[in-house]
Amino acid sequence: MSVSVSVLNYDLKNAVSKNRLVGLWRMMSGYRWHYLGATIALGISAFSQTATALLLNFFIDTYLTAGERPYPLYFVGLGFIGLALIQGMLSFTSGRLSAQTAEGSTRRLRNYLFDHIQHLPYSYHRKTQTGELIQRCTSDVDAVRRFFADQAIGVGRIVLLFVINFTAIALINLKLALLSIIAVPIIVITSAIFFRRVSKAYESFQEQDAILTTTLQENLTGVRVVKAFARQEHEINKFDRDNKEKYTRGRRLLLMHTFFWPISDIICGLQMIVGYIIGATMTINGTITLGNYVAYLGLITWIIWPMRNLGRLIVQGSTGMVSFNRVMDIIKEVREPLDEGDYLPKEDSVKGEVIFKDVSFKYEDGNEPVVKGINFTCLPGQSVSLLGSTGSGKTSLVNLLPRFFEYSGGLITLDGIDLKRYPRRFLRSQMGIVEQEPFLFSRTIRENITYGVGRDVPLEEVEAAARAAAIHDVISSFPQGYDTLVGEKGVTLSGGQKQRVAIARTLLKNPRILILDDSTSSVDTETEAEIREALQGLMKDRTTFIIAHRIQSVMDSDLILVLDKGLVVQCGRHEELVAQEGIYKQIFDIQTRIETELEKEIANVD
Amino acid sequence: MSINYFEEEEFKTGFNGGTLKRIFALLKPHRMFAAAFLGMILMSSLVDAGFTYLSKLIIDEGIVAKNLDRLYELVTLYGGMIVVQAIFVFGFIYAVGILGEKVRYDLRKRMFNHLQDLSLSYYSRTPVGWIMARVTSDSDRVSDLVTWGLLDITWSTTNIIIALALMFWLDWQLALIVLISVPVLIVVAVEFRKRILEQYRNVRKINSKITGTYNENITGVRVVKALGREDANAEEFAVLTKDMYKAGYRAAWLSALFLPSVQLITAFAVGGIVYFTGIKAEIGGVSIGTLQAFLGYVTFMMWPIQDMARVFAEMQHAVASAERIFSLTDSVPEVANRPEAYDPGSMQGDIEFDHVTFYYEDNIPVIKDLSLHVKRGETIALVGPTGGGKSTLVNLVCRFYEPKEGQIRIGGVDYTKYSLHAIHSRIGIVLQTPHLFSGSIRDNIRYGRLNATDEEIEEAAKLAGAHDFILKQEKGYDSPVGEGGNNLSVGQKQLISLTRAILAKPEIFVMDEATSSVDTLTEALIQRGMESLQKGRTSFVIAHRLSTIRRADRILVIEDGQIAEMGTHSELLRLKGKYYHLYTRQFRHEMEVAFDPFLETVKAEN
Repeated sequence: MSVSVSVLNYDLKNAVSKNRLVGLWRMMSGYRWHYLGATIALGISAFSQTATALLLNFFIDTYLTAGERPYPLYFVGLGFIGLALIQGMLSFTSGRLSAQTAEGSTRRLRNYLFDHIQHLPYSYHRKTQTGELIQRCTSDVDAVRRFFADQAIGVGRIVLLFVINFTAIALINLKLALLSIIAVPIIVITSAIFFRRVSKAYESFQEQDAILTTTLQENLTGVRVVKAFARQEHEINKFDRDNKEKYTRGRRLLLMHTFFWPISDIICGLQMIVGYIIGATMTINGTITLGNYVAYLGLITWIIWPMRNLGRLIVQGSTGMVSFNRVMDIIKEVREPLDEGDYLPKEDSVKGEVIFKDVSFKYEDGNEPVVKGINFTCLPGQSVSLLGSTGSGKTSLVNLLPRFFEYSGGLITLDGIDLKRYPRRFLRSQMGIVEQEPFLFSRTIRENITYGVGRDVPLEEVEAAARAAAIHDVISSFPQGYDTLVGEKGVTLSGGQKQRVAIARTLLKNPRILILDDSTSSVDTETEAEIREALQGLMKDRTTFIIAHRIQSVMDSDLILVLDKGLVVQCGRHEELVAQEGIYKQIFDIQTRIETELEKEIANVD
Repeated sequence: MSINYFEEEEFKTGFNGGTLKRIFALLKPHRMFAAAFLGMILMSSLVDAGFTYLSKLIIDEGIVAKNLDRLYELVTLYGGMIVVQAIFVFGFIYAVGILGEKVRYDLRKRMFNHLQDLSLSYYSRTPVGWIMARVTSDSDRVSDLVTWGLLDITWSTTNIIIALALMFWLDWQLALIVLISVPVLIVVAVEFRKRILEQYRNVRKINSKITGTYNENITGVRVVKALGREDANAEEFAVLTKDMYKAGYRAAWLSALFLPSVQLITAFAVGGIVYFTGIKAEIGGVSIGTLQAFLGYVTFMMWPIQDMARVFAEMQHAVASAERIFSLTDSVPEVANRPEAYDPGSMQGDIEFDHVTFYYEDNIPVIKDLSLHVKRGETIALVGPTGGGKSTLVNLVCRFYEPKEGQIRIGGVDYTKYSLHAIHSRIGIVLQTPHLFSGSIRDNIRYGRLNATDEEIEEAAKLAGAHDFILKQEKGYDSPVGEGGNNLSVGQKQLISLTRAILAKPEIFVMDEATSSVDTLTEALIQRGMESLQKGRTSFVIAHRLSTIRRADRILVIEDGQIAEMGTHSELLRLKGKYYHLYTRQFRHEMEVAFDPFLETVKAEN
């Protein structure tokens, strides 16, 4: 059952097709023979089931009615067991093969989607909702799996059962066969209509379920408000109203079932009776034998009753196809080529000189450029600070460096070469990003620190990085030390602690260019000093870009750019900017003003 | 710690006579429905058995006897029975479905109502998700047990008994062959089910891991890209999907093997029957109709037997669910009315803390021997470090918790002598993160006083300074606030929750100020609203803003569960102690924000 690498690596982009069935067929690539085998096995299995009825036919006519003994009696008994064995083995084989197809295709689909999503450009993620994306990757993928595992093979099974059993009856008597299937179209249509309506009613039921859950959740999370206003009674009534509505919708759903099943029972039953009468009359007339009749009773069951399921399978199959489309919508998106680019210098040869020449950038879906006319030069090892309010364009500007977005005008060069000529993978390997509240993964602290280093890192090295980032003591204070899990199932780290883990992570990565995000500051004063020190160590000999909101974080920079609405309104060193009139001086003056105000305030009290 | 406790509880399963008794007691209010569906499933089982018997008669007395009249008679009877059966099927689906919905409704209602009585301490140690699961999925599972589970068991047992009885009646020797195969079938079915269930549990477990990994990789996509982790992540993910493939495939092929195995065992019985029929035919003992009937009854009996294994597995789960539900409804509220609790008609009066000690967990006191006398109408500001006990103090005032030692007196009377409703209905509370319920702005304000007129609501909004911004909303007072108030900013939510408190006309006012900064204009409105609420009311404010602190009649610095410093603003400043430090730090922070030129530009844009 091993799956070959070539099958797993099949590019699912090929499955993009206007025709959904063609798409599904291509999605099965590598498993088509399995699926074909599953269908054939199913056919043989259905055939041996039919053969059982025919054996019974032979047994009754020859042994019982005629009283002959062409073969010893136990042969017939063994015949039944043998047929059941064949039937069982093949139906098992069919189940196995179709499971291999379904599970195998889904496995490949999951892998592909996961990899595809992380390769989609940042602009895609910016406009896509996480919850929606996850839903497509999980429940929609599962719906596709069910399409392969249950629905497609299920339809095949019913069709095969119909063909084989119908042929068997037709061989006994064609007229009997034709009269036995009059009701089949009615059953299929009724069940298709029914299941479509039921799935709609079910949706409305689920909607109410969501409403009820929200009411419950709001009550539970707002328990202090409920108690504070003594609104228990009101809440009970509100919940009861939603609860009753759910009851009503549940009942409506139920009523549909209460009508469908008995009615379809009657339709199927009447069809059976018609068969009984005709078959019995024919037997009495001698048109068919008694054995034929008993065999017929067995065969007709496998035509009529499965038909009720055909409607269900068709309706479910069509929702499976909708899911398939939703999944393909993701696959259709174009990946960001990581290795595209004609300039690939040696790993350690990057010096880190960055030049912006009249750079502008606008989002694909935006009209106005977010930043424009940016010009500056940053020598290797220097630091550039971007100061500005939220929305001034400073984050967009640094997002251009690792090529999360492509600049739309002007030129950015690294060591004199156009940034667009560097492959993204290389560029990113040369950059380290430390955010104010960095994203950590729910793994151990050690794994988080070594995340992205791309090699096995001995513990000593990890500890050294953590020491340099002033986080070693905190980590050591946890009972499990570096093996402590981060996140929901482990410890919750404070913003400052997370940031220091990210600093350690970046130290290990050892990038040439550093991007620091310091725009929102809410860390308390003690840790601020520690973080600052850790950052100083990190910035040493690296070209650094600092996104800042406060003057303290930018004062030592080699170049400060004050941004407003995407434009650089002031630039220079701290000393130069303080000497000019402008926003920078304003902010700086406030610091001094605050202290005088405070002194005044305290003096007033005395 | 608490998380582990709740996870472990999930695995407690098993049968318990007491629990089963309580579960079936849920049917008591609807015993007519329960009796109806049990009766009808019994009847339907009998009719089912009748069909097979009729088939035998059709063969023996109609066809073999070549008696056309008898044949038509029997077929007419058969047709009549189909209609009768349809009525029974309609009846039991309806009865069992309605019963299920009713039990579900009752369970949810019972739990919700009980939840309203439980104290805050229950909520602080029980995760909301845990409670939600009890009210939603567990109640579904239990109601399924007493309806469909009960139905399955009744149906299976009657089918097996009837089939066996009829077989013994028709031919006891043939019946013995069938009887031998029963225990084999049971063992096989149980073993299969156990393994299949285990695989499905695996699938579910891996599936939630896959979802988690998707979630993390999508939310952290920036870090993934920046650190170039794509390939490593895809490799790690492939391990998960491989496990998923294995578990899913195993579950599928086990299921595929299960059915044929059952069929094979049945085939042995059939083979045996045929063989002995053949032998008996020599002595002329068995009619062809009997043979046909036997073949029918064997399947009639085999299906319920293999199904029983599933029903019992589900029952086990449902009993565990019921135990969790009962653990919820059995928990006793820690803060409850004393036997002779009364409503004094007013809560105006001095509030005294008399050597109050409080702890959430044994021997870790949060409030230590605290004494305090608050005069009627006084405004108390509580300041101090997080975790110092400010919130607990306020929770004690509201009687969300009661002192473990010492007494709290309102108007000179121990407040545990009052009814909870008397206290809660006279306290107005504004929380740090304001909780709004989904619905319109008007609904949310009216929560403060349910019988308030629209004019009163607007009046309160004007007092709180919320009126203007509400009118600017698209639908004014009828604008929806969104789930959790998401359509509004934090400041706006605070204004609405202030309005809500004003409308309640409380006698005691409690506020937990937000730490997050809101824009200057909203801040001023909030301050004004607070002022109008504090006028003439005893107020407790957990204060963060300087203006709030300055306005208080008395300031309490709470640290380590005790009052570290107490006095007016100027008294405490002169002390140059803890308050002095807190104040100067907050002063610098507020000034920095207030004079931030960037914030000005942002505001100008809005």
